[in-house]
Amino acid sequence: MTQPILFIALPLLATFFTGLTGKRYGKFQSAVMNLALAGTVLISAYYVSAFVSGTRQPYTASTAGSLPPFSIAFRMALPEALTLLLINGLGLLGLSALKTTFRQKGTLSAVTYLLYFMALNGIVLTRDLFNYFVFIEISSVALAGMVLFKESGRCLKAGFSWMMATGVISIFLILSAILIYVRTGALDIDNILLTDPLVLYSGSAGAFFLFLALIFELKPFPANGWALDVYENASPAVSAVFSGAGITAGLFALYKFLPIVGDRWLFPLIIIGLVTFLFSNILALKQHIVNRMLGYSSVGQAGLIAAVFGMGVLSKEDMFFIAASLMAVHALAKGGLFWLSHHTGYTSVYEWAGIRHKPLFIFLLGFYIFALLGFPPFPSFFAKWSLISALAAGPYGWMMAAILLGSLLEAAWMIRWFGFAVKGNEQTANEIQKTPPVYTLVPALLLLGLILLLNRSRFAFILTNAWIPLLFITGFFLLDFLPARVKNTFMIGGLGLYFYFLYPTLTEFRLIFAIIFLLGGMILLLAGYHYKGRRIGFYPSSALMYSGLVGLLTAGTTVEFFFWWELMTLGSYFLILRGKKSLPHALSYFLFSMGGAYTMLSGFGLLAAANQGSLALETLSSGGPFQAVIFILLALGFLTKTATVPLHIWLPGAHSEAESDVSPVVSAVLLKAGVFGLILLMAGMGPQSLGRVNLYTALGWLGAITALIGNLSAIFEEDAKRLLAYSSIGQLGYVLFALAMMNHLGWLTATVFALNHFLIKALLFLAIGGVVMRVKTRNMYEMGGLIKKMPLSFISVMIGIIALSGVPPLTGFAGKWLSYNATVLSGWYFQGVIINFAGLVTFLYCFRLIFTIFLGQLKDQHRQVKEAPFWMMVPQIILMGVILFISTVPNVALKPVGTFLTRYFPEHALVWDGPMARSLYGYWNGYMIMLVTGVVFAAVFFWLFFINRKAVKIKQFNIVFAGERPSRPELTHFAYNFFAPYQKALGFLVAPVSTDFWNRLSEGTHAIAGFIARLFSGNGQSYVIHQILFAVLVFFLVLGGI
Amino acid sequence: MTFHWMQLVYALVSLFIVLNVGLIIQGIVRKIGARLGRRHGIRWYQLYLDLFKNYAMRSAVSHGIMFYLGPVFRLSGGIGLFLFMPVIYGSVWFQNFSGSGDLILLTYFIFFGTLGMALGAGESGHPYSAIGITRGLSQTTAAEIPLILAIIAIAVQYQTLSVTDIVAAQQGGILNWTLFTNPLATIAALLGFLGSMMRSPFDVVMAPQEIPVGPPTEFHSNFLAVLQTNRAIFPMAKTILYVNLFFGGATNWPVLIIKVFLLYMWPVFIGVAFPRFRVDQSIRWFLRIPTLIGILAILFI
Repeated sequence: MTQPILFIALPLLATFFTGLTGKRYGKFQSAVMNLALAGTVLISAYYVSAFVSGTRQPYTASTAGSLPPFSIAFRMALPEALTLLLINGLGLLGLSALKTTFRQKGTLSAVTYLLYFMALNGIVLTRDLFNYFVFIEISSVALAGMVLFKESGRCLKAGFSWMMATGVISIFLILSAILIYVRTGALDIDNILLTDPLVLYSGSAGAFFLFLALIFELKPFPANGWALDVYENASPAVSAVFSGAGITAGLFALYKFLPIVGDRWLFPLIIIGLVTFLFSNILALKQHIVNRMLGYSSVGQAGLIAAVFGMGVLSKEDMFFIAASLMAVHALAKGGLFWLSHHTGYTSVYEWAGIRHKPLFIFLLGFYIFALLGFPPFPSFFAKWSLISALAAGPYGWMMAAILLGSLLEAAWMIRWFGFAVKGNEQTANEIQKTPPVYTLVPALLLLGLILLLNRSRFAFILTNAWIPLLFITGFFLLDFLPARVKNTFMIGGLGLYFYFLYPTLTEFRLIFAIIFLLGGMILLLAGYHYKGRRIGFYPSSALMYSGLVGLLTAGTTVEFFFWWELMTLGSYFLILRGKKSLPHALSYFLFSMGGAYTMLSGFGLLAAANQGSLALETLSSGGPFQAVIFILLALGFLTKTATVPLHIWLPGAHSEAESDVSPVVSAVLLKAGVFGLILLMAGMGPQSLGRVNLYTALGWLGAITALIGNLSAIFEEDAKRLLAYSSIGQLGYVLFALAMMNHLGWLTATVFALNHFLIKALLFLAIGGVVMRVKTRNMYEMGGLIKKMPLSFISVMIGIIALSGVPPLTGFAGKWLSYNATVLSGWYFQGVIINFAGLVTFLYCFRLIFTIFLGQLKDQHRQVKEAPFWMMVPQIILMGVILFISTVPNVALKPVGTFLTRYFPEHALVWDGPMARSLYGYWNGYMIMLVTGVVFAAVFFWLFFINRKAVKIKQFNIVFAGERPSRPELTHFAYNFFAPYQKALGFLVAPVSTDFWNRLSEGTHAIAGFIARLFSGNGQSYVIHQILFAVLVFFLVLGGI
Repeated sequence: MTFHWMQLVYALVSLFIVLNVGLIIQGIVRKIGARLGRRHGIRWYQLYLDLFKNYAMRSAVSHGIMFYLGPVFRLSGGIGLFLFMPVIYGSVWFQNFSGSGDLILLTYFIFFGTLGMALGAGESGHPYSAIGITRGLSQTTAAEIPLILAIIAIAVQYQTLSVTDIVAAQQGGILNWTLFTNPLATIAALLGFLGSMMRSPFDVVMAPQEIPVGPPTEFHSNFLAVLQTNRAIFPMAKTILYVNLFFGGATNWPVLIIKVFLLYMWPVFIGVAFPRFRVDQSIRWFLRIPTLIGILAILFI
């Protein structure tokens, strides 16, 4: 009994009916409107289920009981049904968003809204070219009416521009209908396609005009100012349906009519689509008005999906999956975002700080943004993956580049917006009510539903493998109302249980990194007991990050690996963003991570292409002709995470501005993800060279330079946490250097460095974090003499710096000894010298760290300072214990590592004799060193203690000071600009070259955006000229043989 | 490596010998220096007197626990360095505990005392201590570069990092010494050596004029005595390392003492002939000619 015509009839009937009841929009009218749209939703849902279950077959219904060309045919099949479900669903939700508007404006406005949806339904259903023109006209006029829901001069102007521009589209469309009819004698798609292709396509101006009309419906860059003005000025509730439903219908029309246009236009379609995607996102960068930004994004996404339609390289199945996922996610997420904007009434991104203390709003905003950006587990993630993999199979590198660059820019402005919402200055914003309205929530639920639907896709295996961690994450989102301590216990317990179950399945490096990620995470989480209250958002973010980290270890395919990699990035971004002043640094972290992730994605895509689509991680060994390129792309991804120069500039800010118990996690644990990636890559792909350049030699140099620059930068820092952050860059440089050697000793060195870095940085960041909590500053010159107030923290830092600087007998020396041996073994003398110099520089900042904070003169304002909180000390004590244990019996840790390393590199393994290790060149006995040093130390100590047993402790200022007594501690605490001579001699080495480069790049992009944005003058006539010029340009380009 | 109690006895004996050699050589050097400057100078055994006097003092005051530990670290560093060094080649007993670690252990153990002393002096709260330490550390990092280059060069040359093996390879005639088999490495290392001996032109760390005595400013009585003990042992230990690496080591005590004395005179000669560098000047100096020679040493192995 259901008929496609109902999609037209129901809204139309409701329109007439409400129109007849007068101007007042009351409950009754509202019910009628809702019923009409609910009806169309139900019918489309019925069709979807019928087509999926196979109870109905796709069919074409003709109106008026006769066949085309004498009637209009409506096609109903699964794609149509899905699209209609989406469009009408948004329409139904949009009704409640616009309820107040309708009440104020009366039934006429409501009628316009309903007509718009009737037209969109028609656009989706009709098979007739002229009929399409009719529905396009109706939708354009209806939208113009909806723009005027808001009364302002700008709206009027935007509406008028819109009418002029759509007029041009109508002209193109009607011209094409006439020309095609003349040539083929038909207006119906199916009949047109029956015509001999030679007749249809040869020099067809009809196809050209149809192409233009279809494209203009999607608002191609740069002839789209009229649409952007609408997005900016219309009520966001209107923009929501304009973007969500309107674009979906426009894209569907493109998909439907594309066969008539012909294959010749596919390539221009790709170009136009990608240019639009890329430039829309560049332009959005410069914007601060949210609705216009979202407009750019809508236009850009439409361009991307249009380009997908043009990609003949995609299989039909691929194209359906990609386009459907992107369209659905875009419609729902964009609808959600516009409605959020509508509800809050915030126009500028800065005002969005108003939702800062409303977790549900933040959650929704993040949910939609990350869905749009294609983060796992949203369908758009899998769509992006499929798209890039498919393109990687052919010579379409430039398309990949355009898509990924566009996505990166999209991430830039969206995350900036998100950052302002979470961390901005809330005083600028109006207060809003606490609970979000239903219409902003429903799209999120529908997106969740879409994720579950992925069970039926070919990526189902990920969700089957991932349901436990995903449940873990969801659990923390749901339990976020509990007190922090309870959640902390759950989290520690969860990680412990996970380790217990994973332990039997993990071997070799996976086991080592599982220990760092999970056991390390558990130790560091102990510090979380210090925090009272609820710490909203901390535990879900941690759950995301830890699940991501562990996922890297359990992943068996590249897509799984990437899935977890992205989740880890997401979680760590949220964690970093929690810091008080971390807004710009979290953004920079996120952007570098995304850049790295996208190069990684292209690398994995090329890899899959070289292996006939196989996704197993083992395929790393067979990279085909492009293996060097794959290696570089993947390595770039991992090197971004390990903050290798020049990709390091995000790290100091991100690590230092994070909270006291987050810094140790992101530094000690998270950086290891990059190391694990590098190990996986190097073990998988083996030696690589590009032309005559051995890539490992290049990596070795890069590691050495990173170590030097990281460490040198650290000594000139006044900020204790930034000092530690730079030190991490240096340490990770050692790891890269050692890994790049590709021999047994090198990899053993890297493992030792990685483990050490975990232990030491966790210890130091916790200790310094504890101090910062107490003295409320991070500037070392404002501290001093704290040993008397915080002796335990002092011991932590002392153990930490002795181990870090590699002085025997602590564990850092193991790394230095191995590193020397490996250097001589691989013949990397000069890199080795740089590494050693970097190691010496470590002494400088280590001394600065401990001296300026704990020694010297205690400041007056710190006389009441207490020892660091108990729960900050607990993990430190555990870590110190581990460091001392491993220092005494290094063989316990190193021997097993060496044993499994012989599988990768059988030659030059260490020979162990109890605690004595012998290499090809030298030997080292950690136990004896500890013993001799310990005995000598104890002997001297007790002797001195004995002869000085009557020593008297004297007061702070009782020092020999040129015969005077200093009056204030500040005058005698030597701490500021500590290594001035060093700066004078070698400061030029740490000139901010990389920072300048990235800053200029960012400024340059903004400048380009600013320049292009001048096109959009707001003048309707200019917009029409843009359209005409665009048409001419396309014509000549195609004539020129694109 | 099995531990034998006799090892300990011999280690203590050699430690005692080196302590005395150090005190006497330094006394003699000061005497020579004074005579060259037309002064009468100290008695050659003056350092013994200072040491005994300081150890005998009992009125110790302390700035805190780390201040207390500073000299302990310092002396442990000096003694430890010596104890990890093979002293007499061919002797069964005068090998100390060199079986615990190789050349790399020695080069890094040098910093054990430095770092500990830096901490101890830091707690005194005297700015001059801290200034002296930053100068010392800064200069050391640069001075180590030629040394590292030289060490890598000889490690590659002899294919070992074991000091005993390096000495063994130099036996059988003066021409087998590293000085002649690898002159560039030796020169680089000797130039680096200047930076670690606290003599002009690299003595700004102690800087007697501007910052009374640098790091030890606040240490007195038997704290100072401990430091003075170390001042006798530590330079000797470093010099013995150089003798082992570049000058064929020694097969008996007299030869060792002669070689150590001669090598010790090298920074002394330079010191009386050249005025002092500022720290930034010395950093640049070490990173130019000596580093270049070190690089050449590696290139021409």
